[in-house]
Amino acid sequence: MPRPVKRALPFLTLCIALFALGACGSSSNDGGTAAKVDDGAGGHRGGTLSLLTSQDISSLDPGITYGSLDLNLLSAVVRTLYAYAPDNPTDIVPDLAASAPQVSPDGKTLTVRIRRGVKFGPPVNREVTSRDVKYAIERGFNPNVASPYASTYYGDLVGAARATGGPIAGLQTPDDYTLVFKLTRPTASLVAQSTVLPLSAPVPPEYAKPFDARSPSDYANHLVSSGPYMVAADRDGTVLGNGYVPGRSVRLVRNPNWGAATDDRPAYLDAVTFRIGGSTTVSGQQVLAGKGLVLGDSPTPALVKKAYQTARDQIFFSPGAGTRYAALNTAIAPFDDANLRKAVAAALDREQMRRIRGGEIVGDIGSHFLYPGVLGFEEAGGLEGTGVDFLADPQGDRALAERYMRAAGYADGRYTGDETLQVVGLAGAPDSNDAQIVDQTLQDLGFKTQLKLVDTTVMYGRFCGVPRARVHVCPNLGWIRDFADPQTVLNLAFNGKFIFPENNPNWPQLNDPAINRAMARGEVTVGDQARADVWGAIDRQITATGAAIPWLYDRQPNVFSADVRCVPELWNQGHCDFAYTSLK
Amino acid sequence: MAAYVLRRVLWGLVLLVLVSLLTFVVFYVLPSADPAQLRAGRNASPATLAQIRESLGLDRPLTAQYWTFLSQLAFHANLGYSYFSQASVGSLLVDRLPATISLTLGAIVIWVVVAVPLGVVAATHRGTWVDKLTTGGALLGISAPVYWLGLVALYLFADDIGKWPLLPGAGSYVPFSEDAWQWLTSLILPWLVLACTFTAVYARLLRGNMIEVLSEDYVRTARAKGLSERRVVWRHGLRAAVTPLVTLAGLDIGLLLGGAVLTETVFGIPGIGQLNYQAIVHADYPVIQGTVLLAACFVIVANIAVDIAYAYLDPRARTA
Amino acid sequence: MSAEAQPAAALRVEDLRVAFDTRDGLVQAVDGISYSVAPGRTLGIVGESGSGKTVAAMTAMGLTRGARTRVSGRVLLDGEDLLAASPARLQALRGDAIAMVFQDPLSALHPLLRVGHQIEEAVRAHGSEVSRAAGRARAVELLELVAIPNAAQRIDAYPHELSGGMRQRAMIAMALANNPRVLIADEPTTALDVTVQAQILALLRRLRDALGMAMVLITHDLGVVAETADEVAVMYAGRIVEHAPAAELFASPQHPYTWGLLRSVPRLDAPVGAELVPIPGRPPSLIDPPSGCRFHPRCAYVRDRHRMVDPALESLAGVPSHRVACLLPETERRAIWAGLTSGAAASPVVAPESPSSGPAAGPASAERPA
Repeated sequence: MPRPVKRALPFLTLCIALFALGACGSSSNDGGTAAKVDDGAGGHRGGTLSLLTSQDISSLDPGITYGSLDLNLLSAVVRTLYAYAPDNPTDIVPDLAASAPQVSPDGKTLTVRIRRGVKFGPPVNREVTSRDVKYAIERGFNPNVASPYASTYYGDLVGAARATGGPIAGLQTPDDYTLVFKLTRPTASLVAQSTVLPLSAPVPPEYAKPFDARSPSDYANHLVSSGPYMVAADRDGTVLGNGYVPGRSVRLVRNPNWGAATDDRPAYLDAVTFRIGGSTTVSGQQVLAGKGLVLGDSPTPALVKKAYQTARDQIFFSPGAGTRYAALNTAIAPFDDANLRKAVAAALDREQMRRIRGGEIVGDIGSHFLYPGVLGFEEAGGLEGTGVDFLADPQGDRALAERYMRAAGYADGRYTGDETLQVVGLAGAPDSNDAQIVDQTLQDLGFKTQLKLVDTTVMYGRFCGVPRARVHVCPNLGWIRDFADPQTVLNLAFNGKFIFPENNPNWPQLNDPAINRAMARGEVTVGDQARADVWGAIDRQITATGAAIPWLYDRQPNVFSADVRCVPELWNQGHCDFAYTSLK
Repeated sequence: MAAYVLRRVLWGLVLLVLVSLLTFVVFYVLPSADPAQLRAGRNASPATLAQIRESLGLDRPLTAQYWTFLSQLAFHANLGYSYFSQASVGSLLVDRLPATISLTLGAIVIWVVVAVPLGVVAATHRGTWVDKLTTGGALLGISAPVYWLGLVALYLFADDIGKWPLLPGAGSYVPFSEDAWQWLTSLILPWLVLACTFTAVYARLLRGNMIEVLSEDYVRTARAKGLSERRVVWRHGLRAAVTPLVTLAGLDIGLLLGGAVLTETVFGIPGIGQLNYQAIVHADYPVIQGTVLLAACFVIVANIAVDIAYAYLDPRARTA
Repeated sequence: MSAEAQPAAALRVEDLRVAFDTRDGLVQAVDGISYSVAPGRTLGIVGESGSGKTVAAMTAMGLTRGARTRVSGRVLLDGEDLLAASPARLQALRGDAIAMVFQDPLSALHPLLRVGHQIEEAVRAHGSEVSRAAGRARAVELLELVAIPNAAQRIDAYPHELSGGMRQRAMIAMALANNPRVLIADEPTTALDVTVQAQILALLRRLRDALGMAMVLITHDLGVVAETADEVAVMYAGRIVEHAPAAELFASPQHPYTWGLLRSVPRLDAPVGAELVPIPGRPPSLIDPPSGCRFHPRCAYVRDRHRMVDPALESLAGVPSHRVACLLPETERRAIWAGLTSGAAASPVVAPESPSSGPAAGPASAERPA
């Protein structure tokens, strides 16, 4: 799923500052991870952690939300069937589930057993059953909830095609602790992985149905917890105005019904408070200087520099924060010509793109689209790359670029056609700098360009995500997975069947029949290793088309106070996991 | 007088309807962001997107949407519900208003208390260091961006990140009812920062007016009567020079009550300005509509109040 | 009659000189004037704009004090030199022993304060024990004194709510609040129409008699002076050029400037179609005044000597109370005046020559028979 590759990054400049951070091929070799991932032991039990964020969360409803900060919050409040341990973003572990998922050999049946003794928080207070998980998934199809990914991942359930919030035949609960997924296609492995998303967190139907009957549903304002923490609420369970004041604060307190015996997580903290609003610049300084604080926004480059230089154990660069790439519109001239695409890819200096963001610290040079932590990454070539010649040299290969230009029919190695390229990038450093590097590269190859720098919503909503806008190059795109399965990185982004007139996720509008067929097969491949192999191969194929130029495997910096023993969620951009983090 | 006020109020209502229509056009007809898309994310299929649109009521014809909004407002005093939190817009506004009012009123008090003596003294001591300081300081105050001033203030005096920790830092605002002392101390820096620009403008304005007024005939008469210089300057001079400032202040108050978004953001004060800004980021149109209407309301009321105040202050205007 | 022979003058000005230091040079606005006024008597000071009459009066009140003002001479109020008084003393005297009425009451009264309040202020500024009620009562009393009808209601009016005549009455009432010994009225009727003018002048006369004040009436209008003044001083270019009892001045004016003033007043009995006779030229520069007699560039009877010698103010033989500053012999002057008043062609005794200094004055006009 294409989420914005970075969190709310304010538009302050100062990439130059990051030159000092181990740029220009310095020898800093710790891979940029300043603080180490640990299990939080060593801190004490108790205390309140405060998270400062300038942007409000988008929703508390586990059926709706999927932004990284929202996931960070929900991971402590509700329990999904499976989840990732903070330090392992690739392999799922049982959370609400009692044991590993059972996938039938034909891949069309998934069986999950649920732990006993997990209880809902107040005001529901009873034990969680498989029927609660069933309802949670079914409500995703209710138009009043309109989960963005229910049909994507659970659409293969028998009866899901007609589902509008009522019972789905393919979702069966033979007893209180067993859930069986009957699928029309062999996608059980994918479904098992997809349960890490909050939609699979249990929702008590008798409590939630009245809220879900409203359009839109306001269950979010009455959220019931199943995890170690709950959003503070009044006696009726109303969260809005109590634990959640929109635009101001969210307050998490311990769920009195949470049993440590049912959960592997230590849950040291007594409470977590989100303080919403304010400016990232100031919040960042407060976090560095203060106590018990964590920064929820992406820190400004100046702050990253300061933390890295003066408080190295207060900053953590979380790997696996997504792949950054520049998309070339394959549907219209001139980039319907693969040779021209490859020429651009060969000419682009990806090292420079990274340097302007701060150098090695900010991530590894990207050479294909699956990134570290995602299944299939190694199968696609890992950090070495897939072996295509036009991405072989991270600093670009001018001679090769010219050869591709000539292969495209431009004898001088420079474009002489009529098209003026529309290039749309993001305003604000360092993204605007990256856009300008791409723009310059295009001009060096002889293209005439028109560069527009806009904000994120406009870039996606009006230009790059709208085929009609006829944008030729989008240099500031990026992709984060939904979960470790490689399909979530490649399918929507490069499959021809997902080219939509608006809200289009397949930005290069790649529509290669061979690749489409391979992806169709990949969707129904069973077994994690098999899927890794298949999608790894697809990644190679996509890379070979040159439809998009990958250039960075992003690392997300996170900043926290000196007394915070932060346990970063490597699966979620490095946000501190509340159920593991403690205060010294 | 009553008839006059009534007429103005009715006109004000017409204006509010126009403002709501304009806001509606800007956000619904010419949108820069689609709230359904923002909520759906780039993952959602067109079907899901359509579903979300429908649940938010965005797929209905524009006139129907506007009519619903207007009738809800007029007949039920209902401003709608936030797309994102489903909290009622009215409750959000009510929740945020005290903070904005606190910020505005405190800033006003400071700028009046500082600007008036400064302006008067600068006028009566033209050319001296007081005058030069005032004029120079005013230039600085007018040019310095509020956001930057706020940052500087925090980096100097905030007790968490400042060089000389004196006052509570950003995000420390609490409502008066919760902790009066913290409410007060957390607002001191924001008040000073917000008041800065206004003080500068008003001091300069007053200085100019005073210089003019002090050369008027009636000031000469006051002196000829044997009044003390103090009385001449403050009772006669200031009284005449201050009228334009009062009207200007009224308008500024009206504007500020609509939310001082930059100050609120830097200092983390949960006021109307921040609400408005966050709503814009989320394309949360009902909230945007609510904050815009509220701001328009304040401006209209301020205009009416200012006209009335002017008539009160300057009896010559009453015959008009 | 010299001032010394009178009973003690309430106001005596001795050799007053006032200069302003401006960027363009030193402006000598008042260049050595002396006069005195006894209680119950009115001195009329006449002159055109720029003659220094207002500056002299304001200086007497201490209203021209400033960094760039240079004042010399003496202004004695009942023997006390106002020019040497401290600011505090001056403030105590102003509005109390010496008061001033200004030209345009609409701009001279504070537009935003009620008339009664402004009068009250004058009262309470000089009597520390006066209560608000007492002040208000006194204000009503004063308004009645100046014959404003419905004084008890009018007291709460704003200046713009009163007619021109009422406003001037109110200003007079304000000036009289503390029974001043000296009242200076600077063009008190200039902003009013003619009928109201007459009323105000009558009022001033009445008040002067009732209260025994010494009054200085400054005006450019000879008609005003004729009715109200006992003595008249004609000012030109910062100096007094003629000073005589009123009747005497009108009967036999001695200075060419005075002639010009008298002849430029339109007369009801002038023949139809007769032209007004203006004084040619413009007021002289006070920074760089003409050499010799200051009036010479505009005088129809100028002679060479007049350009070099500056006449002093001298009494006429036989009429010591009538003084004039002119180099023409007295007999000549009388002859010229007789000629002018008889309507005969008044040809200059000597053809005027072009002016040799001062600002360009128009050619001296030969009088033409009407």
